[in-house]
Amino acid sequence: MPVQSERGYLIVAQNIGTVDYVGCAIQLAQSIRHFHPDAQIALLTDSTTVQSDQFDYHVNFTHPLGDNPYANDWQVFGASPFRQTIKLEADMIIASEIDHWWTMFEHRDVVISTGARDFYDQPATSRFYRKVFDTNNLPDVYNAITYWRLSETAQEFFQLVRRIFECWAEYRTLLKFPDEVSSTDLVYAMAAHIIGPERVTMPFATYPRIVHMKRYMIPIHSQDWTKELTWESNPLRINTVAQWGAVHYHVKDWRHD
Amino acid sequence: MTTGALIFAFNNEHTDYVGMAAWSADRIRRYLDIPVAVITDCTDPSQLNKFDQIILSDPVSGGTRYFDDYKETVTWYNAGRTDAYSLTPWDQTLLLDADYVVCSNELKCVLDLPQDFMCHRLAWDITSITDFSGLNYFGQHKMPMWWATVMMFRRSNMSQYIFDCMAMIKNNWKHYKDLYHITGSHYRNDYALSIALGIVSGHTLKVDNIPWMLASVLPEHEITQVDEDHFEINYQDQGKMKRMSWHGMDFHAMGKKHLGDIIASAV
Repeated sequence: MPVQSERGYLIVAQNIGTVDYVGCAIQLAQSIRHFHPDAQIALLTDSTTVQSDQFDYHVNFTHPLGDNPYANDWQVFGASPFRQTIKLEADMIIASEIDHWWTMFEHRDVVISTGARDFYDQPATSRFYRKVFDTNNLPDVYNAITYWRLSETAQEFFQLVRRIFECWAEYRTLLKFPDEVSSTDLVYAMAAHIIGPERVTMPFATYPRIVHMKRYMIPIHSQDWTKELTWESNPLRINTVAQWGAVHYHVKDWRHD
Repeated sequence: MTTGALIFAFNNEHTDYVGMAAWSADRIRRYLDIPVAVITDCTDPSQLNKFDQIILSDPVSGGTRYFDDYKETVTWYNAGRTDAYSLTPWDQTLLLDADYVVCSNELKCVLDLPQDFMCHRLAWDITSITDFSGLNYFGQHKMPMWWATVMMFRRSNMSQYIFDCMAMIKNNWKHYKDLYHITGSHYRNDYALSIALGIVSGHTLKVDNIPWMLASVLPEHEITQVDEDHFEINYQDQGKMKRMSWHGMDFHAMGKKHLGDIIASAV
């Protein structure tokens, strides 16, 4: 897609089964606009019926979609209408101003966020979901926040992401205890490892890091934190603690007021 | 501006907290060179001659609590602590638990810092047998806990907000206990302080901490005093009896009985 704006947020929302990722994307866009009313926001989706004024651009996938919905992620590079893009996973909410992210990112070609936080704003220490990363010494990346500018590095990175997704059967043989189906975080980690983590990550930076609300990342006893923890809207507080940055709420049907 | 220490001391059926505070007052003067005030219901002059100021107050129980060293449940007169701000005679106060043993001048650093309020965020077991993960957090969802054992505060809006907030939490304990998913019913100053710091910090948990961790001796570990600032503990680690000794390091004696025995033998 030709560049139509200098910088903006790209939200990917491909509805899967009963999961309403488009609804998540609309909620995410609303939360960005709450802090940055003039932000440029694009929705990348396979849906042709989205009616929302939260998005400045509605973009459809440019290539045919595969069976594994994650495996379409490589298309973000070609689909973004921005020269500089921050891609955000749809099932997140923005809980504070985030425009300082650009200041940190703009001197780099690609930045994939590294590490995660709990809702107390402490670095997440659980490795429950990261065993394959640790076993294979892969960078601890989270594609939920990924920045790139149009550049050779970004093009090389996303070409590699595409190749790994499309040839997963071969690439997975490089890993100890690989997952059966490719996931975006794992593919990004492999791509980062191959082209050099120093080119596409900033592990020394303490932000942006998502607040990860998955079961074993935080001290809860059930799968659904929204039913176990106290939470309040505007500003978002979880267990009374004020949240900031990007909160990956994980429970897809949670709707923040 | 006046600076001094403040100790709450209300005896219960097992522990002579006034005697403990008097023993501690000597050590505070020696190592920190500041006067000591006591808040107590004791009116016996012979027990109060170690203190520079005596503030009479009624004991307020926060409930009963099981102490491993006594192997019994004892009454715990801890709930008046929220009045420290209004009762202290000092402009800058070092509020210490009676069972905090001063063995060095390290708290002078805290008195020299410009902050209005400071306390310990983390405590550690000096034997390293336990990692204190159960004690440095509270509630079912592991809320970070700040320790009320040592608090430095100046007369200031910030300090007043914190103590007022602790009083509000104490007065509405059932609500806050439920909100923070705290199991057990008894009120604890550590919990009230932690919740208050959360509220006063705008729910950000960004708090000025005393810049080191609180050394702690567990109730089941028997402490003995070898010399003035030289202490020892005997403890069991994986079935083996071990001994540890240290000089010149402040510590929190979580077991009152062993410390009480040391003080009784010193007298």
